[in-house]
Amino acid sequence: MSLFLQLFVNGLIGGAHYALLAVGFGLIFATTRIVHFAYGPIYTIAAYVAWVTAGPLHWPLPLAMLAAAMVAALLGVFSYQFLYRPIEERQGSTLVVLIASLGLFIVLENLTGIVFGTGGQTVAGFEGGIHFIGPVFFTTVNVWQIVSVLILVPVLAVFLRRARPGKAILAMTDNAEMARIVGIDTVKVSMLVFALGSAISAVPATLILLRDGANPSMGFLAVFIAFVAVVVGGIGSLRGAVAGGFALGMIESLGLWQIPTEWQNSISFVVLFLVVLLRPQGLFGAARR
Amino acid sequence: MDYVLHILVMVCLYSILATSFNLLIGFAGLFALSQAAFYAFGAYATAILSVKLGLAFPLPLTAAILFTAAVGILVALPAIRISGDYLVIVTLALQVIALAVIVNWHGLTGGPDGIRGVAPLHFLGLPLDTPRRFLPVAALAAAAGFLIAWRLAHSPFGRALRAMRENEAGAEAVGKNLLYMKVVVFAFSAGLAAVAGSLYAHYFTYVGADGFTIEQTIYILAMVILGGTGNLWGSVAGAAILVVLPDALQFIHLPVEIADKSRLVIYGVLLMAVLRFRPQGLLAAAAAGGTRGALTPLAVTQGGAGLLDPIAPGEATLSGAKLARAFGGIRAVADLSIALTSGRITGLIGPNGAGKTTAFNLLTGFLAPDEGEVTLRGRPINGLKAHRIVGAGVARSFQDLRLFARMSVLENVLVALPRQSGDRIGQVFFRPFRVAREERANIARAMSVLAFVHLDGKAGETADSLSYAEEKLLSIARLLATGAEVLLFDEPLSGLDPTTLTEILPILRELARSGRTVCIIEHNLDVIKELCDEVCFLDEGRILAIGTPERLMTDPELATRYFK
Amino acid sequence: MVKKSGWLVKFLAAGLAAATLGLGLTAQAAEKPQDPKVFNIGAILAMSGKANWYGTVMSQGILQAVDEINAKGGVDGIKLKVSIGDNKSGSAQAGVDAMNRLIDIDHVQAVLTSFSPPTLAIAPIADQKKIFLINGGGVSQALIGASKYLFHNRSLASDLGRAAAAYAQAQGWKKMAMLSWNTDAGESVVNVVKPYWEKLGGTITASETMAVGAANIDTQIAKIKASNPDFVALWLFSPDPGLAMKRIRELGMKQPVLGIEYTADIQKIGGSYMEGYRYFSDYFTPSAANPWSEAFYNGYMKRYGVAPEFYAANYYEGVYVIADLIRRARAQGGDYWHGDKLAAALRANPAVDSVYGGKMVFQANGVAKKRVAMFVVENGKQKFIKYVDIK
Repeated sequence: MSLFLQLFVNGLIGGAHYALLAVGFGLIFATTRIVHFAYGPIYTIAAYVAWVTAGPLHWPLPLAMLAAAMVAALLGVFSYQFLYRPIEERQGSTLVVLIASLGLFIVLENLTGIVFGTGGQTVAGFEGGIHFIGPVFFTTVNVWQIVSVLILVPVLAVFLRRARPGKAILAMTDNAEMARIVGIDTVKVSMLVFALGSAISAVPATLILLRDGANPSMGFLAVFIAFVAVVVGGIGSLRGAVAGGFALGMIESLGLWQIPTEWQNSISFVVLFLVVLLRPQGLFGAARR
Repeated sequence: MDYVLHILVMVCLYSILATSFNLLIGFAGLFALSQAAFYAFGAYATAILSVKLGLAFPLPLTAAILFTAAVGILVALPAIRISGDYLVIVTLALQVIALAVIVNWHGLTGGPDGIRGVAPLHFLGLPLDTPRRFLPVAALAAAAGFLIAWRLAHSPFGRALRAMRENEAGAEAVGKNLLYMKVVVFAFSAGLAAVAGSLYAHYFTYVGADGFTIEQTIYILAMVILGGTGNLWGSVAGAAILVVLPDALQFIHLPVEIADKSRLVIYGVLLMAVLRFRPQGLLAAAAAGGTRGALTPLAVTQGGAGLLDPIAPGEATLSGAKLARAFGGIRAVADLSIALTSGRITGLIGPNGAGKTTAFNLLTGFLAPDEGEVTLRGRPINGLKAHRIVGAGVARSFQDLRLFARMSVLENVLVALPRQSGDRIGQVFFRPFRVAREERANIARAMSVLAFVHLDGKAGETADSLSYAEEKLLSIARLLATGAEVLLFDEPLSGLDPTTLTEILPILRELARSGRTVCIIEHNLDVIKELCDEVCFLDEGRILAIGTPERLMTDPELATRYFK
Repeated sequence: MVKKSGWLVKFLAAGLAAATLGLGLTAQAAEKPQDPKVFNIGAILAMSGKANWYGTVMSQGILQAVDEINAKGGVDGIKLKVSIGDNKSGSAQAGVDAMNRLIDIDHVQAVLTSFSPPTLAIAPIADQKKIFLINGGGVSQALIGASKYLFHNRSLASDLGRAAAAYAQAQGWKKMAMLSWNTDAGESVVNVVKPYWEKLGGTITASETMAVGAANIDTQIAKIKASNPDFVALWLFSPDPGLAMKRIRELGMKQPVLGIEYTADIQKIGGSYMEGYRYFSDYFTPSAANPWSEAFYNGYMKRYGVAPEFYAANYYEGVYVIADLIRRARAQGGDYWHGDKLAAALRANPAVDSVYGGKMVFQANGVAKKRVAMFVVENGKQKFIKYVDIK
């Protein structure tokens, strides 16, 4: 029983991490329909920016996270402005954009290795506390991971529903063509979601830096999981991305309760496979297509 | 220079992979990202049969092809239900799962160690164990793979594939069996990838899971996209470039520690640059699919003479009895009965949401009715798949046309012609002369269909370059080409200016005169009055009244309903 | 920006290296050796990809050794030249690519290799082209006998695992929980240690696996914790023992943890949680008693600004092994500059100087018998406990 409880809490923590990754990626994907592969290395770079600022430069953590978010947002906007948009303007299909994004992925990941070195990096001297409730253990960083979802997701939800730019994002997610017709500047909205989505990834990036450290190749799994979580949850739904993230976290954790851990990498994909086959609109994607 | 020869061997293997992948994504429009898994199955099947069972060529190759083709067919099954992003995700998932099974099934696959000691191929007792000796085999296989892919892609079957890529429902509505096509193209694509895998196993004599990861699929995908989807030469070019480029970059000398990462940066920048400035890929797809040259010398039968075999008028053809269909509690069609007669034009009118298009969908098998029966000349046809119903003689057009946009006007019609032996894969490969002979006749027939709708002058243009009126005409031509005796038109006249109307109305009348059963959904009451012999008024999913246009239009109750 | 570009700096070694290398076999009256202009050697390392760290460390060791040897005039007056290829962190195909290039373009006769899949894939080429191969990275069972020219200057991973198990038995521990990489390296340890431990009378309470560089191993650790073992064995390689150690402690486990690898990267990831980690590894620590090791250590510090990992030491040593073999083969005279001649020279006398101190002896299976020692991590540093005899 205590194993079950521990796995449950692990699932929540892992799910919180995935949920934020999915929210950032999903925002970009649902609004622009661009499979932004380079989201992965941008997340990595965010982690390294947090490392440089919090580590060698000794900035306080919130400031480091802010710096990471700003760099990520800039990179996101750049990738849209100088790569994806020109391709779309030349009538390149989404698949072409995807491969171009892959090119960017390769470039950014290797640049990260060149600039920051190939080993892992951790924030020297940072030590989160260990806590336990009964048989269940967790760390301070784990708490932050959960809290970050609890703060960011409602804020984003309110922004999307209430604020003008947020409403524009939702309109474009719903129907880009229609949004253009009613006078929404879809290019501006796209830049906004690239900035927002990438900036959001800086939060899990900073927290994972504190938890496990950063390394140049951490981006691939991150963007992959984010993509999967978005589809599992339902494209175009904030609730769905969050649910998808938590679902993956839970599956990865509780799914291995009785199944050997050598299947860890594939178990979420088995679930994904079933979800898409049985409920192609995703867990929460009922309303939109 | 073994090194150069080795690179050429790799170009050959990847050209097989890229062309086979192009069949799936470029021609069939099926974005199934599990090509590296097929590659892996080919390699592992060969390695296992060769190492564990000691089998010699060609048994492992044959088994690898058949096994992987069978797996391909299994993957085709989800592709029947889902498409687009979802197919991408499902097949990505399959790829990851397949790799996990390979890595975890120690007894069979050697687990993470892989399998080493695969016997090299032999030719006249000579082991093909160096790049120099292996290259001829690889080149031969690449050429054979290319020819097979080429034949498939440029046959009537390939044309049907492209039609499916452009619009699945459109292809179904001209009688194409999507299930059959998907299964065949997956089987071929997987089988060809297995050839590359089998060669890999014999060439490297070692097979490990690291060579077949998701990154590998993406690498092959990049070749297809870079070369240009829907162009097989493009795939060969893409394969050559992406294999040679990293090796060419090796000649740039850089400090050791950052050398290979810097080369990858250059590689990524080049990939981005090409796609940024040439998103359609280096070689764009040939739009007219090779039939362009065949157009000019044909004598075109003017005015459709001989095009429409006369059918006896006044006979009951298509009828639906007590049809009902609900969507999540909303009854779109409830208790609808309709009977159509040959040689007559029946109009289907009613307010928006009355269930007119749903009625068409039920009559043509695009939707299965919850209740009721559809019969054609007394034979029940409900339960048949849509493409079978087209074959039986009932075809429909779509309100949103669903043309095959990136195919030529001629091809749009050509693909709709019934009973093409070139649609059967066996005939394509084993009776090429018959297929070619038939194709010549079909082109002539398609041209006369185009002439009938006055589009013969545009035969070589792509459908997406047509004007709106021409698009409407093309959709009629396409419907006509199916040879069906019952033709259901979903708003064929909406949005047209009066001049075009005067062009299309005679065509529809001509069809009825030849004994075709014509049914149209229309909002323009003037058109209805001028064209229809009989009108059915539909509202809330049932027929409220049937009669001559004059009678229905003077009914005040219907008028209020119609204009509510 | 972090790494010093010390590779540029030509390092002038003190006269120590020569002393350890000077002697070979007494030259027989042989025909005149046919000398090449330069001895081309190659390396196939993880120069990009997710295990890039290994490539960085290994190549640094190699470059240092080559520069040292050349600074002293080369091998018998002929310089060494090294070309480094990329196996993209363990891809068989990339390995073969690099191997063909090294042979054809760079005309190498000896190659330092790493990672199992590329090594297995290049082994047949080595056999065919008679190229001498030496691997100083992880050694799994699958690599043994892959090529008659393949040698390993690192202990078998499974031998290290057995040393750990033997230690555990001596402590009176009964219940072992294992966490291993799901690669050949991790699995070859599991496959050997599991029967060995059970023969020693122990039980295995949990046997979990993780992917290389997995982001999330919480489930594995939770299952290990729930199995309530006496100790945890980590059959993992850099940097994952750090992550595992951290998780084990974060989940409140107090049991001792044994491993088979410890590097600066592991320490960095594991941080203070590494305290008390006991590991069994090829013994490399610079000491006054072994001047070569000190020279290497200091030279490395000077070039790269960090202390050498033992992987750097192994590949540094690998270059010296090749140099020594060249000298021996050359003494035989004739057309000696071929990989098979180097292999023959090694088989004729399998004892070679080791930067770890003393001599290492290559066994019939190609694996060098090195001194294995037990260490414990104290205050973020390794502390030598004792040499271990592997039976």
